Amino acid sequence: MGSMMKEAEHVIEVEKLTKRYGDLLAVNDISFNVRKGEVFALLGPNGAGKTTTVEIIDTIRTPTSGKVSLLGMDVTKKKHDIVPRIGVLPQGFSSFDRITVRETLQYYSRLFRLRDTDVDGLIELVTLKDKTQEIYKNLSGGLQQRLGIAIALVNDPEVVFLDEPTTGLDPRARREVWDVLLGLKKKGTTVFLTTHYMEEAELLADTVAIISKGKIIAMGSPGELIESNANYLVLTLQFVDEQAFEIVRKMGFEPVQDNRKNIKVRVEHTDDVQKILNAIKDAGTSLHSLDVRKPNLEEVFLKLTGEALREGPAGGRGAE
Amino acid sequence: MNPRVVGANLVVSIKSFYREKTAMFFTMAFPIILILVFGTIFMDQENVSFHLYVQDLDHTDSSAQLVNTLELNGKFQITKVEPAVNATQYAKNNKLNLVLTIPEGYERSLMQRMMRNDPNASATITYIYDPSSTSVATKMEILNSVFAEINQRMSGKPPFIRSAETSILTKKYRFIEFFIPGIIAMAVMTASLFGTVNLNTELRQKGVIRKLSTTPITRTDWILANILYQFILAVISTIAMLLVSYAVFHISLQINAWLPVFIVLDVFAFVGIGMVLTRFVREAQSAAAAANAIMFPMMFLSGSFFPIEMMPGFLQTLARILPLYYVNEGLRASMVFVDNMAALRNSAIIGVFAAVVFIMGIFATKWEEGK
Ligand SMILES: Nc1ncnc2c1ncn2[C@@H]1O[C@H](COP(=O)(O)OP(=O)(O)OP(=O)(O)O)[C@@H](O)[C@H]1O
Ligand SMILES: [Mg+2]
Repeated sequence: MGSMMKEAEHVIEVEKLTKRYGDLLAVNDISFNVRKGEVFALLGPNGAGKTTTVEIIDTIRTPTSGKVSLLGMDVTKKKHDIVPRIGVLPQGFSSFDRITVRETLQYYSRLFRLRDTDVDGLIELVTLKDKTQEIYKNLSGGLQQRLGIAIALVNDPEVVFLDEPTTGLDPRARREVWDVLLGLKKKGTTVFLTTHYMEEAELLADTVAIISKGKIIAMGSPGELIESNANYLVLTLQFVDEQAFEIVRKMGFEPVQDNRKNIKVRVEHTDDVQKILNAIKDAGTSLHSLDVRKPNLEEVFLKLTGEALREGPAGGRGAE
Repeated sequence: MNPRVVGANLVVSIKSFYREKTAMFFTMAFPIILILVFGTIFMDQENVSFHLYVQDLDHTDSSAQLVNTLELNGKFQITKVEPAVNATQYAKNNKLNLVLTIPEGYERSLMQRMMRNDPNASATITYIYDPSSTSVATKMEILNSVFAEINQRMSGKPPFIRSAETSILTKKYRFIEFFIPGIIAMAVMTASLFGTVNLNTELRQKGVIRKLSTTPITRTDWILANILYQFILAVISTIAMLLVSYAVFHISLQINAWLPVFIVLDVFAFVGIGMVLTRFVREAQSAAAAANAIMFPMMFLSGSFFPIEMMPGFLQTLARILPLYYVNEGLRASMVFVDNMAALRNSAIIGVFAAVVFIMGIFATKWEEGK
């Protein structure tokens, strides 16, 4: 609290945070700040240390070393003062199987010793209005996650922690959760989000911190990250002919081929696109389709770590 | 402690229980089924006859008739002892707790009384008995009543004082009445132990405990709610068992303040053990296995189903270190034998045990550090 008004007030301050599990170094000396009102996303692959980090900040776990302050309080010392002011959706959230949506929200509201919780408002916010009498077990995964978010908001928290809120959901359910989160963002709630979906980070976050093997390897707005780490274009070509790959490779580029026989090439300038197209035309090879776009966070991650964010072909989902 | 928080947890537990019909069946109906099955099986054995050894030194028609009368009473299976042997020595050698001797001259005395109306003519029947045996008093009581009836009939007048039997302190109990307190103790143990282990491991695996650790609920509120919930279940289940037993077997048991005392202690002891278990056995399945490993010996060795006197000596010693034994003994002392001192003694032992494990359980229950 005492800190002077800087550029913006920091709601979370993490300084040289380290967490060990026995010999395993899960979080390795990381530091960052989260500003009031922003959506901050911790983006990284499985096992990167996202949950460890977020659960240290939201007081579920304790750090090995380092200093973490949340709302101006030391998380290791002020759990009781912090807890009523934050909302948490833990990874793989789950609730009482046979308790209905409304009852669950009432239950959590009572745990926070509140009497005037707007349960209907929360239900509306996460669009569960026609499911209020449904028991938790009978909700689909997406609806369960939306209930989890509503629970995290039950005490009207100043900071909301959402640990992989859309993992395991189908694309439509994911989009529905995103709508809820966009609503929060619009309201100016401070949100700390972890995810391994770059679309999610790109769509929702004001600041993205990319974490890999317990280290933060890049941080900034999605635009900044792409600008500074992946200043190139991605050209995707679809051929009927196999030999096109060789043609592009011989020109000095480094094409990669995915399982749908698409060839992806990184190019520095638009001129290069022209050159490649001409070479293909000269060789008499016929082209099915082509696509040029700016890279996304997936490629930033790939470039920084040499690893894919998720299993499967890197960037294999094309641009949308 | 916050009553609203405790109440909220209680409501969630009770609703979950009520909505999960199979769990409800197993906690509520299972003990009742046990009572019905065992009660029916042992119903026939209730008219169990005692072995009675009779030495007839008179060896006349009249003495034979007396033996016959005893046999017709239905309570005794009679074995004759040779008149030649020393009855006391015989009882000792064969470890008999009672031998009856009909004196020589029985018929003569009888005739004298019947024919000549000689009030001085009488016959003395001797009970050679082992006072350390538990069932001998019952046998002698039955014999006395049979002889009293014979005496009365011989007087030729209808009895002046008749008796109506209502329960007396050292009444004979039926098997089912012995059985039911044991089943109550066992059902409460099972529900408390498994209820606690299942609830905690399931909620931990589902991550609900982790979520709860980010709310202001305290460990005390959580434990208190769990104890209250288990107590409510125990009370409902006990009432159901007793109602069924009254309706079907017409049992006569003493229901007094000891019953809730022992139920509370039973709940505390086994919720405590459950909490300690959940702390040290992480996986839900192994926790259930560990709970079983605790429950089964307890069920069979602590005298829930049958008196531990029926077991070999070393198992009887073992039974005395099982907490459930003291709940069984205490409930029987209060419900069957109406022995307040024994109830007090047993409640003190189980009370100390419950306090110790429950405090251990409180320390074992942890919120922080999900894993
Ligand atoms: N309680 C624990 N004990 C031991 N090791 C742990 C524990 N929790 C996490 N780890 C290990 O620490 C590393 C980081 O785990 P963490 O759960 O923080 O990663 P994550 O980024 O959240 O991964 P995911 O995307 O799979 O959720 C992993 O190697 C994990 O196996
Ligand atoms: Mg995680």
